[in-house]
Amino acid sequence: MDTVRDVISLLSYFVLPLILVSFPLYGLYKRVPVYESFVEGARDGFQVAVRIIPYLVAILFAIAMFRASGAMEALTRALDPVLGMIGFPAELLPMAIVRSLSGSGSAALVVDMINQYGEDSILVKMAAVMYGSSETTFYVIAVYFGAVNIRKTRHAVPAGLIADAAAMVIAVWTVRLLFG
Amino acid sequence: MLNYIWAGLIIASIVFALGYDASDIATDRYRNGRPLPVALAFPEGYDPAARRVPVEIRMETREYATFYGTDQTPASGYPGYLLQTQEGRQLRFEAGAKLPEPLATIGKVSRSRDDELQGRLVGFTSPAAGETEAAAAGVVFQPVRFVKLNAVAAAGIDFARTAAEIAIGLIGVLALFLGLLKIAEDAGIVFALVKLVRPILRPLFPEIPPDHPALGMIALNLTATLFGLGNAATPFGIKAMEELQTLNPSEDTATNSMVMLLAINTASLQLVPPVLLLALMGTQINTLIFPILTTTVLGLIVAITAARLLGRLPGYRASDPKRTL
Repeated sequence: MDTVRDVISLLSYFVLPLILVSFPLYGLYKRVPVYESFVEGARDGFQVAVRIIPYLVAILFAIAMFRASGAMEALTRALDPVLGMIGFPAELLPMAIVRSLSGSGSAALVVDMINQYGEDSILVKMAAVMYGSSETTFYVIAVYFGAVNIRKTRHAVPAGLIADAAAMVIAVWTVRLLFG
Repeated sequence: MLNYIWAGLIIASIVFALGYDASDIATDRYRNGRPLPVALAFPEGYDPAARRVPVEIRMETREYATFYGTDQTPASGYPGYLLQTQEGRQLRFEAGAKLPEPLATIGKVSRSRDDELQGRLVGFTSPAAGETEAAAAGVVFQPVRFVKLNAVAAAGIDFARTAAEIAIGLIGVLALFLGLLKIAEDAGIVFALVKLVRPILRPLFPEIPPDHPALGMIALNLTATLFGLGNAATPFGIKAMEELQTLNPSEDTATNSMVMLLAINTASLQLVPPVLLLALMGTQINTLIFPILTTTVLGLIVAITAARLLGRLPGYRASDPKRTL
């Protein structure tokens, strides 16, 4: 397991430099006017960034208001008995909800829980696995769909949320199986 | 769906904020208009003629607890000063003092221009000049109402700014990787990749023609995610979306391929844990690699299945821009 991990982390050191260097080099070899191509492609960077602004503002401002309103605490209290039945610790509910909504918010929750329970507690392990095993669905939707001006997202949100919910429950189970 | 979730978030935040504020008012959590008992000591002696007299503000733990009905305990003394004007006396706590709740919240409303908690002093009989001993008094703060509602509005404004900052911050990295991608396209790297990944990705994206560059972009996006290169993964993913959009007959409606790409990205299959988690958890991370990997893989399977199956529901089939009429 450790050697696999070492190889992977070693590889990940090289992938980024490899992409940065090999693309222009290979382009040169293929007689592509690399500088001109690069500049032509890079020109889109600004437009894309500007295009996603309305989508990001819409998503982030609504989520920020929701988090500031204390709705999460009320929800945690309301769902407590239901969660007990499926063996999901109530302390992790805020994490499970925030994970799909806000990346910085869920990172802050991990920090809070480390301060409260300590790094080697099983709750923190579960929270860390939750954080590490999924992406912020709403951020991804805003950026990826915003970049191409897609407003009617069809089943993207339900699919993403179902996957998130599954990942949250699976995270609790695997950690409990390994450390419980 | 997103319409309802978005509106739901906003409505929920207003409803819950109002609920919390209503319960604050019902229990009179901030004891609006009632004087908080304090004792004032004068380390430099009391001077009846001075406009500004330095004081030490003392609050007795038990008195404080019964007054606000809280279990928070104040420190033994807070530095501050007395402001004596024609209109009366004002008590100000030095800015940056670590106040217990609910005083800390009150301090966000009842405050001076320099962010000091301030209140009107009542029931204070001025001691003799030069007196240093503590004298009893009461402080009435400006009434505090609708704290949550204001916090919600402030958070909304704050994050609108943050959102634009995030987008603007992306410009450089986006430009860099989109430039590299253009070279890759012109040099035929993307096309070579398409051939390589076609057997794996085609079953997931059956709508993409077999030789389309979108497959290559998706492959780059997934590789970057796999190695935890968020910086590169986002531009690659955006480029993949743009390629998918060229195949989309509609301007504003997502195709099944787009939803699939998004679902795969939200599940975020990565072999190396996020850098931030490494920083937070330290050596503990070693024991978590395996559960994280298991969870992501299973999450990815759920994401792919959900995207595929939901796309077959009659409602989503009818909204498919590529449906055959």
